[in-house]
Amino acid sequence: MASDLPLLPRFAEKFIQNFAAKRQPEASQQTTVDRHRLYILPTRHGLMFFLILLLILLGAINYENSLGFMLSFLLGSLGFLGMIYTHQNINKLTVSIGRAEAVFAGQEILFPITIKRADSSPHPNLQILSDHGTPVHAHIIDADITECKLTQLAQARGYTHAGRIKLFSEYPLGLFHAWSWLNLQSRCLIYPAPDPHHYTLHFAGDSSMGNNTDDKSGVDDFSGIREYQSGDSPKHMAWKSIAKTGELQTKLFNNETSEEIAINWSDTQETLDLEQRLSILCRMVLDASEQSLKFALNIPGTNIAAATGLQHKHQCLKALALFGKNE
Amino acid sequence: MNYLKQISQSPVFWVVISLALVILPHISRFPGWSILFITVLLAWRIVCIKKPGWLVPKWLLLIITLLSTLGIVAYFGTLLGKTAGSVLLSVLLAIKLHESKTRRDYMMLIALSFFIIVTNFLFSQSIPTVLYMIAISIFLVMSMISINQDDAPLNIKYKFKLASKMILQAFPLMLVMFILFPRISGPLWSLPDDQQSATTGLSDKMTPGNISNLIQSNAPAFRVEFNSEIPEQSQLYWRGAILWYFDGQTWEKGKQNLSTVPVIRSAPPLIDYTVTLEPHQKKWLFALDMPVETPPDVFFTNNFVLRSKEKITGLYQYSLKSALTYNIQTKLSPWEKSAGLKIPPNTNTKTIKFAQQLAQQYSKPVDIVNHMLRYFNENNFHYTLRPPTTPGFDPVDQFLFDTQRGFCEHYASSFTLIMRAAGIPARVVIGYQGGTKNPFNQVLTIRQKDAHAWAEVWLKNRGWVRVDPTAAIAPQRIEQNLNAALDPGESRPFHMQLDNPLVRNVLFYWDALDNQWNQWIVGYDAKLQQKLLESLLEQRLALSDLVLLMVGSVTTVLIIVLIFILKPWQRKKLDPVVKIYQQFCDKLSSRGLHREASEGPVDFSKRAIEKFPAQKSAIELITRLYTKLRYEAVHNEKQLEQFKQHTRKFKPGIKKVLEK
Repeated sequence: MASDLPLLPRFAEKFIQNFAAKRQPEASQQTTVDRHRLYILPTRHGLMFFLILLLILLGAINYENSLGFMLSFLLGSLGFLGMIYTHQNINKLTVSIGRAEAVFAGQEILFPITIKRADSSPHPNLQILSDHGTPVHAHIIDADITECKLTQLAQARGYTHAGRIKLFSEYPLGLFHAWSWLNLQSRCLIYPAPDPHHYTLHFAGDSSMGNNTDDKSGVDDFSGIREYQSGDSPKHMAWKSIAKTGELQTKLFNNETSEEIAINWSDTQETLDLEQRLSILCRMVLDASEQSLKFALNIPGTNIAAATGLQHKHQCLKALALFGKNE
Repeated sequence: MNYLKQISQSPVFWVVISLALVILPHISRFPGWSILFITVLLAWRIVCIKKPGWLVPKWLLLIITLLSTLGIVAYFGTLLGKTAGSVLLSVLLAIKLHESKTRRDYMMLIALSFFIIVTNFLFSQSIPTVLYMIAISIFLVMSMISINQDDAPLNIKYKFKLASKMILQAFPLMLVMFILFPRISGPLWSLPDDQQSATTGLSDKMTPGNISNLIQSNAPAFRVEFNSEIPEQSQLYWRGAILWYFDGQTWEKGKQNLSTVPVIRSAPPLIDYTVTLEPHQKKWLFALDMPVETPPDVFFTNNFVLRSKEKITGLYQYSLKSALTYNIQTKLSPWEKSAGLKIPPNTNTKTIKFAQQLAQQYSKPVDIVNHMLRYFNENNFHYTLRPPTTPGFDPVDQFLFDTQRGFCEHYASSFTLIMRAAGIPARVVIGYQGGTKNPFNQVLTIRQKDAHAWAEVWLKNRGWVRVDPTAAIAPQRIEQNLNAALDPGESRPFHMQLDNPLVRNVLFYWDALDNQWNQWIVGYDAKLQQKLLESLLEQRLALSDLVLLMVGSVTTVLIIVLIFILKPWQRKKLDPVVKIYQQFCDKLSSRGLHREASEGPVDFSKRAIEKFPAQKSAIELITRLYTKLRYEAVHNEKQLEQFKQHTRKFKPGIKKVLEK
């Protein structure tokens, strides 16, 4: 749980969200929290605090204890001030979002967030939360600006948006939970999750079906596994068999980089579903790129000519990520 | 020191210290074992900050909870009394501390610490208590900040400043609510009293030694404000109780068969005064000899002693009138006669024989009284705080014929016994004598050290007449004070040794302050509230008006406090970077390109380039510099200067300058 808000009835929560959605401005890279979009409710321990305050007041009335009255009124005023202070802790903060690096599905997206204050007072203990993430803490104390990374779980391939971000704070007394929903515009590309298995890579022109490396038939570039010797490229580590045997081993290839490789849609079994086929192709792109092979990618609708390099790898992964989706 | 620094980061540390501080003033009221339990549990929790594995396990906590609950019931006989309840709450919080892990647990402990503060107020509402509690409240707020700071780098100084600021800002609102919150009189429910809440004060028995013990205390017993002139010091006899029964050693009130129709004949002037009684957990009310007009709601008998209907557990104020010249009970009731002549058999036989001789010697009772007073005065009797102990069954014999050294209780006791043995109805009165006038406010303060015992004898046609045998042996005690009456060589209680003009003045001043505090703050109740508002508004307020007035005033003060916090008069200080960028936007705006409120600088620059493609490079440069200066944490003087220059030179729409 991100917040200690008292449990609201479902319809009330819905109502607040709808209410907030109507007041939300257009998404942009930067937004400033203002009082029209700032909500505040007591926390659970805030409610508990006020309950105890009420007990103190009852005790004071019963015993006609003047100082008991004073204390309960002092705490009441303090609670009210706590509300103002919590409100002011996030009011007028300017939050901007940056570009997040592409990740594979299942990994965590990190959106860079910058928070800036308009005044000169400290704003400690700010928390930022996206719909599918854990809250991240940020503090503005001496500098006017602070940076942090908003985490979000990458779920499906394609572009994903930072979505609705909640900036909240319970500082200083923890009696109130003040928050604002920020509509920050930033998208992140999510590549398909690479398949856990490695597959045989085919030279251009070879059109036979791809097979698992465990199946030794039809191997032409991959020539076997031998014990690891110092100087072997770590890119050629046979991770799968290392995992099996516990010994360092290296994959051997014939004619490395001398010939082009083609990664084709037809390399994957037709019986598999679309996402699985993309996962396998993603794994093949990664393997080929890891081995510094020159490779081409041919999938329905997109043909990327053989090349090497990071840019090329990204282009191929992007094509896979966006396969069948419009941007 | 390093260790202390480390653990002070932990919210647990703050909670432990908060609990210790709120329980501290209770230390003298709680039984020793509970203090031990609490101290060990608190200290152990500090140790556990570094060794979480050492936390007291649940089953042991359960046993401790059971044991302490049983202990409280065994000690107090209840769980609900003031002291018993405070002990229970304190012990439970110390136990709860060992199974607190979440922020919510700590917040609950802090909130309940405020509750313990209130239990302190049930015992003391003095100025020092309140100052201590304000300091603790600041500390508790610091603890709340610490619990909610997470990993924010806030030091203790910052927290202290913030907490003090918040408490200070909460004060005006508190005051308004304190004055205007509708008070109702009388308790909503009553809780059982503990047997243990003993306070210093007169007891309803008189054994040689118990008044002289009281003299050690300088605590105020009550304060008196006179609406008429203050009578002379030697007239200030504050009667508290009449003791009828004597067993040879101890005088007791015993069972009394009294009429509720006191008979008095008095002569003016009447003394009109108001007494503010300190809580003494008994029903006694003190009155100047002899009360004539008494407040309603009190018991008043032909003993001329006042009794409250409830125990006095808080400051209690009452007004009455007394006469200095009077005759009471000129007709003696049969019960009074028999009780006033009763002599314990087989004790103090020498004294009784002595009295019977006196009765034969004189025919008039007045002469016997006077003879006895002369007897004390002319023989080698001494007035002393530390008389020799008189063990055995005949303490009066030993005092009269052997030691001849005693305090007021010895003189009152022996004198009364002699009168009874001589056939004159007599009784012992205990109360206070004298008092100290505060020159700052003319209020008379009567302290425990003014405790006194004297006698009353019944004389035909005159009724009960006050006779103070102490006045015969130590007239200074009555005319001035105890200090003046004691031998210079005799060692005195600490408060008397301190007696010098400077200290006395400071104490008078303090006392006057304390009196104001008691009158206006501690004693602020429904009656005083009504009186205050009536004098301010010149009309009587109904409850609904009072509620409206409170809501209105609270809102007004809230707004004032809010204005002070938000400071809207302080114009938002614009970042120089924003100011310069604003110039850039203004230049474009004058050419018909307006920036939307929600438009980011990059989006705006794209539109600007579309409209003024000639200035593409300048627009891009300015936008890049702006985003860099504004959104990157590092401050760069050189870039700022560059940004300023380019913005100044920027002229949208003039093709020939920028097309090169």
